Parts: sequence; C-alpha cells; structure tokens
Amino acid sequence: MLTYLARRALGAVWALIGVTSVVFIILHLTGDPTSVMMPPEATKAEMDAFRHAQGFDRPLIVQFGTFALAAAHGDLGLSLRHQEPAMGLALERLPATAVLGGSAFLIVLLVGVPAGILSALKPRTWIDYTARGVALIGQSAPTYWIGLMLILLFAVRLGWAPASGIGDWHNVVLPAATLGFFSTAKLMRLTRAAMLEILGADYMRTARAKGLTALRVSLGHGLRNAWLPIVTQLGVELGGLLSGAIITETVFAWPGVGRLAVQAVFERDFPVVEAVVLIAATLFVLLNLAVDLLYAVIDPRIRYA
Amino acid sequence: MGRMAPRMRVKGVGFIILSVLLLVPAGPVPAADSTVTISQGVDADTLNPLATTITPTFNVVGHLYERLVDFGTSAGQYDPKLAVSWKRINPTTEEYKLRRGVTFSNGDPFTSADVKFSVEWIKDKVNVSGQTPYVRNIDHVDTPDPYTVRFVSTAPTAIELGFAQPIYIVDAKYFREKGNAYVADHPVGTGPYVLREWHRDDQLVMDANPKWWGGHVAFEHAVFKPIPEAGARVAALRTGGTDLITNVPYQYQIQLTGGQNTKLVSTRSYRQLFIAFNTLQPGPQQNKLVRQAINYAVDVPAIVKNVLGGRGFELTSPIPSNYVGFDPSVPAYKHDLAKAKELLAKAGYPDGKGLTLTLNAPTGRYNRDKEIAEAVAGQLQAVGIQTTVKPQEWVAYYAQVARRAETPLYELGWNVANADADGVVSALFVSTAPLSCYNNPEIDRLDLLAAREIVPAKRKALFKQIATILHEDAPWIVLFQYEDLYATSKRVRWQPRGDEAIRAYEMTPG
Repeated sequence: MLTYLARRALGAVWALIGVTSVVFIILHLTGDPTSVMMPPEATKAEMDAFRHAQGFDRPLIVQFGTFALAAAHGDLGLSLRHQEPAMGLALERLPATAVLGGSAFLIVLLVGVPAGILSALKPRTWIDYTARGVALIGQSAPTYWIGLMLILLFAVRLGWAPASGIGDWHNVVLPAATLGFFSTAKLMRLTRAAMLEILGADYMRTARAKGLTALRVSLGHGLRNAWLPIVTQLGVELGGLLSGAIITETVFAWPGVGRLAVQAVFERDFPVVEAVVLIAATLFVLLNLAVDLLYAVIDPRIRYA
Repeated sequence: MGRMAPRMRVKGVGFIILSVLLLVPAGPVPAADSTVTISQGVDADTLNPLATTITPTFNVVGHLYERLVDFGTSAGQYDPKLAVSWKRINPTTEEYKLRRGVTFSNGDPFTSADVKFSVEWIKDKVNVSGQTPYVRNIDHVDTPDPYTVRFVSTAPTAIELGFAQPIYIVDAKYFREKGNAYVADHPVGTGPYVLREWHRDDQLVMDANPKWWGGHVAFEHAVFKPIPEAGARVAALRTGGTDLITNVPYQYQIQLTGGQNTKLVSTRSYRQLFIAFNTLQPGPQQNKLVRQAINYAVDVPAIVKNVLGGRGFELTSPIPSNYVGFDPSVPAYKHDLAKAKELLAKAGYPDGKGLTLTLNAPTGRYNRDKEIAEAVAGQLQAVGIQTTVKPQEWVAYYAQVARRAETPLYELGWNVANADADGVVSALFVSTAPLSCYNNPEIDRLDLLAAREIVPAKRKALFKQIATILHEDAPWIVLFQYEDLYATSKRVRWQPRGDEAIRAYEMTPG
C-alpha cells in the first residue's frame, strides 16, 4: 500500500511538472502581453523598454528556465496585472469556488444519482421519461443560456434570489443549479445505464429468488455493483466543479477561480494562469487518487500491492 | 458498502459548511439611500493609480486619487483639482500652483514633492509602469517651493504637459515606506472617497473622505461591483442589485427605457471605429483610387442603423467633429455607388472584377466589432469587391496589427481622452507610430508643427491641412463614433461623459 502511494505521489509530481510546462509554452507562444499592458499610443521604443524590463525579449528557453527554477521553489512570480503574488491571488478565490462547486456537487449527488436509479428501476414510465427529458436539456442547453434563463425567471420576474454576486446562501442557489445541471444530467444517464446493465444479471435474479425486498435487491446488490463507473465519474465531476467554473462564474459575477482564469488568459497574465492551472491539476491528481483508493473499498476484488 | 455512501455524503456537507465559514464575511451594509453601486464589466486590476492603463481601473482609482488638472465634460475643457492655477513661463516650462492645506487620507500633507515623485515613479524602469507614454514629454520636474511645481520639456508642446494625459498624484513618503506590493491594495490618496474594503471581483466599498477639500458628496458610500456579462448586468440593475451599469447592448434599450426603476442614459463617445488600409503592405489597397472607391461604396448610416440600432454617429474625417482640431469645411465621402464603380474602373477593376480583399477584425473588443466588419464586407459586394472577414481574439489580433505587415485591411477603435486631433494623427498616421500603416512625409511634417504650435488658430489651420490630405489620400474607411449606452436606477441622476469616466461624486440622488 505504501509503495503504491509513493509511486502515485511520484507520478503526480511528473503530471504537475508536465502540465505547467505545457501551459507555459503554449501561453508564451501566443504572444507577450506588452500590447495589452501599454496604452495604445505607446511608441515602439516605449514598448521595447517595457518588454525588456519584463524579460519578454529573452529567448523562450531562458524564460522557461527562470520560471521553472522559481516555480521549483514554490514561487510563481508576481501577477503582471496586479503586481501581487500570483499564487496568493488564485488561492484567495478558492473558498468562493469551493462553495459554488461543492453546492453543485451536492445537487449532482442528491439529484443525479437517485434520478438515475429510479429511472433504471422504472424504465419506460413517466418517471423515466421525465428524468431522461430533463437530462437531455441539461446536456444539450449551453450553461450560459441556462444561467441567464434562471436569472430572468427567479431573479428578475419572481424576485426569489439575487441576480448576481456573492453573499449568503440565497446567492448560491442559482449559480449552483446552473453549474450542477450539466453534471447532474450526465450522472443521471450514467447511473441509469450502469444500473440497467446490472439489473439483468444472474445474481440479481438469484437475489430476488432468495426473497429479498425490492429495495435491498436494487440498492444492496444492484447499486453496489454499478457503483464503480459512477464513483469514477463523480471524482472527475468534483474535480471540474472545484477547479473553477468559467462560464457560471462569469454569468453570475461569482468571484471564483474560473473568472480569474478567464481574465488572466485574455490579459496574458502568465503567472496567474500558471497558478490557476497548478491548483486545478493538483485537485484532479488528488481526487483521482482518492477515487482509486475508494475502488478498493467499494470492490474487495481490487487490491493495491 | 452499505455504509459508504452516507459517510461520503456527510463529508460532502461538512466540506460545504467549512467552505462557507471560510468565506470572508461582507462588511456592515451601508444604508441604501446614501450608497451608489456601480457595475462595470471588470474589476480594478490594482489600486496603484500609476501602474494601470485601463479605463475601468481609472474609474475606480479616480475616486481615491486626484490629478493636478482633470478632464472636463467637453473637449479642450479642464478642471483644476490639486492645481489651482497654471501658466507657461516659457515655451518649454509650465508652472502649476498647488492647492494648499490638502492632506492625504493618512494625514500626510500634499506638496510639490509628491508631484515630482509621481512623475518619477512612472519614469523609473524598475516599476515597469505602462504609463511611460503619459509622461514622455516631461523631461524633469522642478519644485521651487512646496506649493509650486514646474514641468520642463525638451521641445515646446501645444498641449500643456500636465494636461495631455494627466497622471494621479500619490503620497511620496507612503510609497517609499510601504513599497509597490503594499500600495497596490492599500490606497492613500487625496480623493473624495477612501477605501473601506475590497474583495476582488466581488465588491469594492468606499466611504466619503471627511477631509476632502472639495466638501460634501451626495452619496456617502460608493460601491464598485463588477459584473462581466452584459445580460447579467441588466438583470442586476432591474432587481436593484446595482445602480449604474456600463456597456449596455442596444438590444436592451426598450426594456430599460420602459423599466419601472430604470432609465437609459447615453452620450456620444470620443471613441471612433475605423478600418485602416495597410498602405505599407503590397496589395490593391496601395492604390489610392481603390481606397477612394471603397469609401464611396460603404454606407455608414445603414451600418449604424442596422448593426448598432441607430446608436452611433457617422464621421466625415478621421478627426471627429467633437475633437479639438476638427474643421467642417474639409470635404467628406458620401455613399455613392456610381462614383465607387467609376473609380474602380479607373483603377483597373471594372465592376470590381479581380479585386479580393481580406478584412481583419477583432471579436468582442468593441461593441459589435465583428458584425460591423461583416456589414462592410457585404456592402463592398455590391460594387463587386470580394471581401473575406477574418475575425480574431483581441490580444493575438492586436499583436498582428502592430506587426504592420500581415493585415491589408484592419478594424480598430480609437479613443483620445483629451479629444484632441493630435491624439489621432500622431498615433495612427505619422509614419513612425507603431500602429500607423501610412507613410506621408507631409503629414509627418504638419503633425510635428501642430504638436508644437501654441497658438490655437494656427494649430487648427494645420489640422485642416492634415484632414484635407487624409480625405484625398483616403488611408482609412472612415466609419462612426459610438453612442455609449449606460443605464441607471431612477434613484441616481448622472450624465455620462465622452471619455468613459464614471465619477460617483458627479452623481446626485434622482
């Protein structure tokens, strides 16, 4: 088990190095931010002086070396726009993103999975059709549009929730529903498919023949065996939800990591983009590990040596 | 397994509760009637007024800091702020008498040393400020006494050094003591408001500065609450979440004009949109007759009407009519298809045959930028010119335009804060300017004269000459100026300005 964890930790470090390097190179290839950071009337000499002071005129490999050396010491540098440590700016946004992503995940877990189970247990009934219909909308309608529609209905017309911004729990409801809708639909369909596959298995018939209650058959034997792909997907969804929801945060003016990332990309604020990517990658690596470890708990046949 | 799921759920709930507790609680909410909330698309990037170059940030720091002289509400008009009077003492030296008894919000007195420090902070390479172009003509600053400063230049300048793009004045002692990282979010200025709290991308709350020399402001508290998405800004205004929103898409004008609590306010912007011909790059756009023909072929009023919902003003010259230096007697192009066809035939392209062009345009940088380029391309079709529109994301687009060799036709917006013709000519037509794709020694010569000419009438005559040459040579498709749309709640009375500045202290309860 310990060897396994050590191997995974090493793999994680490589993954993080890989991701930050790729992002660094792609970002720098798209051009430096001098033109967006100087006023448009700047002369060539003024632009060049700025470029030189920022070090953008050095060869890419030299810039990368400097960055890598500092990053290895945990220093991603100052944000070009804000003149403050980039990592601090990104970490500052994490709580807001965690609240939004966590709430959305709760919706996925408490709505998506049960709806999928119900839908599989009662195929071709109104429950199934409703769940699948809603899931179809959830997966096909753009998040952007869903968000605006929810704002128009619940904020503007009914006045039940604020239209945007962060504050108390009232503010969380609409963005969390918007953000969670897509994942909920995905989970509902996945759960339904996984359950349907299991429901036809021989051991399910045996379980029913033993005279177990319908609930024990479907949850104890059915869901338990269908759980593996669902947990994997939940892990992926949680990673996505917690690393910042770009569109939802933008539509609802939510001060999270996703909005910071979008602005940083548009402004070519390299250190901030790196910080956000590093945080997201770390989250994914950790959640993947957690999911893998969970496998052993869910399925005793899986053992890590 | 049966026990696994509930445990996971409990952990999830615990995580949410923890996260909610971690959230910084919003401070005490100020009384609604004494507060005005302003929603721009983006938050301030820094509160160091010497480190930014973007309008939304200037709009925020303009409440905390002040300039010696600030732009008035119309072109060529300036209001005294930290300076009470000024005069040229010789062609290269201006003297400013400073307001006495002004203190920064930490109690430090405001003196000429602070002015000198602010200019030098920008010029100091260590600080990597984007504002170096604002002070490029100031050679050095002299401080004969605590309430007098002199700006000295190497050559005479038509527009006073302190006016062209006035900078904000910071507290020299405080900046030196605290360092750049600290002052970026701990502002200490002389302005009408002081910062109470700032949660990035959430809200920035300011309280009236009780020690402000200018006296009482109508709204005791001013809040900046950025909302990036235009539809969400409109929704926030309609639900009372904010009092003033910027960049209202014209599609919302009926909804907001007829709203119970909302009203639409607008002004003619100093910003113009144009399409430049790259005359430095080989191609049909190097032919003057083609350029003239295209100017006749484009129907600007139709574009304003159909693409901007009427919210724009047709221009007759690259020097807009609300700029200092405009002359109405300079001829203009009017939509005339017959004339366009005649010129095309003369240029060797009868019925536009064989003439294909690529029009580069940004997406999402200016109101309806891509759509306007597409409309122009559509209109050129009418005289037989095949035009391909190539839209691109802003940063990559702008870098390409600045290389001056890859964009035969390109669309750009231009805003001159002091609404002076020189801001257009020196940045976009003078051959050495980074964004100029035009090389005409006569324009270079005339603009240099205009930049140094102190007598307004002589200067105006120079710009008339420039505009006449630009009309004949047609290095641009001259388009229009935007009408900037804002919307406010009915509890706020405010008149927008052409330079896109928003000042809570210019607002009154409605």
